[in-house]
Amino acid sequence: MNQQFSEHYSEADLLETYYMQPGASMPVMMHLADCSDCAARYERLEKKVRGLSACAHDDKPDTFWARQRISVMRKIGARPSAFARTARVAAAAVLVAALGGWFSSRQVAPPPATVMAPQTAPEISVQITTPADPWDSEELGEFQSIVAWESWDTPAAKNGDQS
Amino acid sequence: MSNPSDAPTDQALIERTLAGDGTAFGILMERFQRKIYRVAFSVVRDEVEADTITQDTFIQAYTHLSRFEGRAELETWLTRIAINRGRDVLRRRRFVSLFTLRSDDEGETETMLEPVDERPDPERQFLSVQLRVAIQRAERTLSPQQKVIFRLRHYENLSLEDIAAHLGLRAGTVRAHLFRAIHKIRSELAGWRANPRMDHEPAIQ
Repeated sequence: MNQQFSEHYSEADLLETYYMQPGASMPVMMHLADCSDCAARYERLEKKVRGLSACAHDDKPDTFWARQRISVMRKIGARPSAFARTARVAAAAVLVAALGGWFSSRQVAPPPATVMAPQTAPEISVQITTPADPWDSEELGEFQSIVAWESWDTPAAKNGDQS
Repeated sequence: MSNPSDAPTDQALIERTLAGDGTAFGILMERFQRKIYRVAFSVVRDEVEADTITQDTFIQAYTHLSRFEGRAELETWLTRIAINRGRDVLRRRRFVSLFTLRSDDEGETETMLEPVDERPDPERQFLSVQLRVAIQRAERTLSPQQKVIFRLRHYENLSLEDIAAHLGLRAGTVRAHLFRAIHKIRSELAGWRANPRMDHEPAIQ
């Protein structure tokens, strides 16, 4: 808007002034204050734009607004408020914690940890059980008397009693 | 007769709602639903979608009411929710139009407006219609952001500061978007001539 003070503003300029807020444009406001023609045109334009933008929603029937409220209230009836939801979540958390503690107190000692065998070749350990005293061997059990006889050194024999 | 000052404040109604009083939220809704609907309609220019946005706004407000800190007015908070919902609708329309090759706002309801001048002057009627058509045509070329800003200014007559507050933008950004939007409207008005009865008036550029 480069008009000189004496020039009139176009409708487009005035429209721009209207949307950009008249108070923000000091040159235009000063011009409108001095030029009754432009001021009148601005007034008409403003009225026109206001009329174009007016929407007659307030004259909707009350039933429209009531229906809208009922619809919302029905929907939020099935949806708890944030406060109630938080309270429920907190209660659920406390319950879970309590139940968890109760179960853990009843739990038996955990089974021993499974030790994985090393990936090397398995060692075959053959345990040979040898009796501490060969004479006690079960295999020799039935021969015990013979063996005992053959090796039995009686004190008499040792003493030369070979009669 | 009830004194208006006896009406419970928004804050009192919020507290009652949080305490589980469903009727309090109903009162809040009754208080603001017309304004929210009007804002929603301004943004999306569709009655059904404006109704949906209004309902969604109150449902969202209800579910997040405990987060409302009261730093702004409840009305401002609700308006902001509604505008954001409206922006989502505009963005979705724009996205859909990419695939359907439809005009961005083809589906928008054209509101029939009465001529604004009191006297039944056909000439003035014609100019009003021209202006309305130019504005509607220009709106289709605006980006969603520009559209929201222009419509809040045009239909709701909100100040630039209010628009900035509702959109969470700086006033300078809003001014720049609005300026671009108005220039598109000016180019649409290129063929619109001033009232010929006022011969000294310059034609619209």
